[in-house]
Amino acid sequence: MSTPSITLHTHQPGTPPGDLAIWLFIFAELLAFGVFFGSFAFSRAHHVALFNQSQLLLNRESGAINALVLITSSYFVVRAVAAIKQGFSRECANWLAGAIGFGGIFLVVKLFEFHAKFAAGISLSTNTFYMFYLSLTIFHFMHVILGMVILAAVMLKARRGGYTPENHTGVETGASYWHMVDLVWIILFPLVYVIR
Amino acid sequence: MNTPPQPRFVRPCTRVWLALVTLTLVTYSIGEAGLGGKNIMLLVLAITLLKSQMIASYFMGLRKTSPMWRIIMGSWLVIVGGMIASAYLMGLQ
Repeated sequence: MSTPSITLHTHQPGTPPGDLAIWLFIFAELLAFGVFFGSFAFSRAHHVALFNQSQLLLNRESGAINALVLITSSYFVVRAVAAIKQGFSRECANWLAGAIGFGGIFLVVKLFEFHAKFAAGISLSTNTFYMFYLSLTIFHFMHVILGMVILAAVMLKARRGGYTPENHTGVETGASYWHMVDLVWIILFPLVYVIR
Repeated sequence: MNTPPQPRFVRPCTRVWLALVTLTLVTYSIGEAGLGGKNIMLLVLAITLLKSQMIASYFMGLRKTSPMWRIIMGSWLVIVGGMIASAYLMGLQ
């Protein structure tokens, strides 16, 4: 029989919120997206007319709506962390549920956008712009799904009262990852949909 | 009976959220107006980097961390922004 042990995951001063391992993962992800963004930008430099013309066929509304959706979802996660710091498990879980719900809205909007593009006969091989547009947004789409899975696991634990004001590293870990997903779209949206 | 502490009417994070929403609408409006060119690109990029910094500092909580973490994130933003700007300028030639 194992004896119960109490482990307090107190936040080390000076380190970012959440588990240190998630930050290594976050920076690895940012590095990958950074290479992707740079590749898009320099490829555009060689095909400016093609990129500007192809960009006109993108649905900028859905890109902007999704930016607002992710920003709001990120805000809900901030509120979830604030709630658990005060010991409000139920409130924390509710904010996380809202964040996951908005993540779902992002996916639905994106699926409509993808469907319209595929229905118009656009694919990865259409041209360089669409190769980047599809691969970048699908890569990000998968990160949204992973983020939602992480937030769902955190939400379920929060609902069971698994976090306390003293021990809520898991909430901060999930929150940090979700903010990264938001941060990437904050750059992807103007780069792909707006700058011309 | 203990009453829970009442939150302030507008929390700092709510102000950040409102600023992010406003700046996103500005970026969208620039796109809708069909504006382009070097100065517009620099404006859109500046707005984007400001938003990114706000998310990193206030949402991700990096403003309370040691300089190393802020330097890593800041460097990533500067490199990504620098690549986008320099590639755009290359395309103008």
